[in-house]
Amino acid sequence: MGIKKLLFVTQFEELWFDALQSLMDLRKAGLNHVVFIHVVDRDKVAMRRGKGYLKGEEIKLKEMANVRFIDWAEALFEQGMEVGAYILVGNLVPKIVSAAQEEDVDLIVTGHHKRSKIEEIYAGSEIIELLRRSSKPVLVHKYMLPSGKVNDRPFEKPLLATDWSRASKKAVEYLISLKNIIQKIEVIHVAGEKSLRGFSAMEVQKIRKENKQRLDETCEIFRAEGIDAEEHLYVGNVTEQINRAAHERGASMIVAGTTGKGPLKERWLGSVPKSLAEESEFPTLLVPTGGEQTGS
Amino acid sequence: MGKKVLIVDDDPDIITFVVTVLEENGYISLMALNGEMGMTIIKAEKPDLIILDILMPKQSGIKMYRDLKSDESLKKIPVIILSGIAKRTFLRSQEALTAFGDEPVPEPDVYIEKPVEPEELAETIKNVIG
Repeated sequence: MGIKKLLFVTQFEELWFDALQSLMDLRKAGLNHVVFIHVVDRDKVAMRRGKGYLKGEEIKLKEMANVRFIDWAEALFEQGMEVGAYILVGNLVPKIVSAAQEEDVDLIVTGHHKRSKIEEIYAGSEIIELLRRSSKPVLVHKYMLPSGKVNDRPFEKPLLATDWSRASKKAVEYLISLKNIIQKIEVIHVAGEKSLRGFSAMEVQKIRKENKQRLDETCEIFRAEGIDAEEHLYVGNVTEQINRAAHERGASMIVAGTTGKGPLKERWLGSVPKSLAEESEFPTLLVPTGGEQTGS
Repeated sequence: MGKKVLIVDDDPDIITFVVTVLEENGYISLMALNGEMGMTIIKAEKPDLIILDILMPKQSGIKMYRDLKSDESLKKIPVIILSGIAKRTFLRSQEALTAFGDEPVPEPDVYIEKPVEPEELAETIKNVIG
């Protein structure tokens, strides 16, 4: 594991070169290869009545991306890094997944390309679609901190939200592989309000004790690897509490495992990874269980 | 029989342009879309000249050039770099890699920053391999 090679997805809306620079701390964890990808939306160059396929528009949009990538690549090459680039026409998520597979990257970094409500109803969230189709961890990067400063060390103090799933265990392994750049990990579990409903005070305390013990065991795994870790138990709405904890603990990013609900379930019921990726002010690293995600 | 020239570039328009220049001047053209594929073809075909781009998927021209010039059996194959990346950047990146512990590599035979006119390219190829 570790991050030697990352795929940097940019539509030149949310993520620019300063966002990439904010990830250069990863070099201490082995990063030596960055691959850029920009996907020109097929709709922008598609056939128009009386005009045909907009080849001229395609060339213009691709060259605009190329000029930017050359400039970015020069800066990274001069630091001794390996750089690659893809400028493609098509649908964003399938192109990202295909490039991530071809390059065998360790991490996909993307901004939050929010679809309209109507698009989400019919096509779902791009982030969730990406996580469902790819087995690679995805960092939804928000490089401006809530304070307005650039978050230039997003991996320094991650907050790991665990639900004890296989994906959460995978997230633990992933974070251990980044121990060279992590100062401290805050580990939290949120006990949902619903899960406590109808229990007696004694039963609630029992649940609290059990969760605390599991949190402590997770922290021990990190401590055994030389990473400082502290456990916290929260109760309430899961997404809200994870965000609150990230604020309270001064986290630099939120990390969560994701098992990938089926597309219909996610679309209508929502999901914690989707909410974190789209609503949290913090960079959100989502670690899938591994293996190709097929959805349902 | 004409001399073999390998063009390594991920841009199909550039490949078409260079292949046209090569064939009009009596050379045999070989093609690769990235550095990884380029090295495979070089080992199999031993071309007389390589025309190399820098910014490509899979493996950049900087890495491929370094691999080529570090291989005793291939290091004498001349290379023309044809890229949008500045020569200064190419040289600095090679210096950085040398500083990280790799062996130093020589400068390329010719460095052309894109775009290039067909006559200039043909003339340059002729100067390098005849």
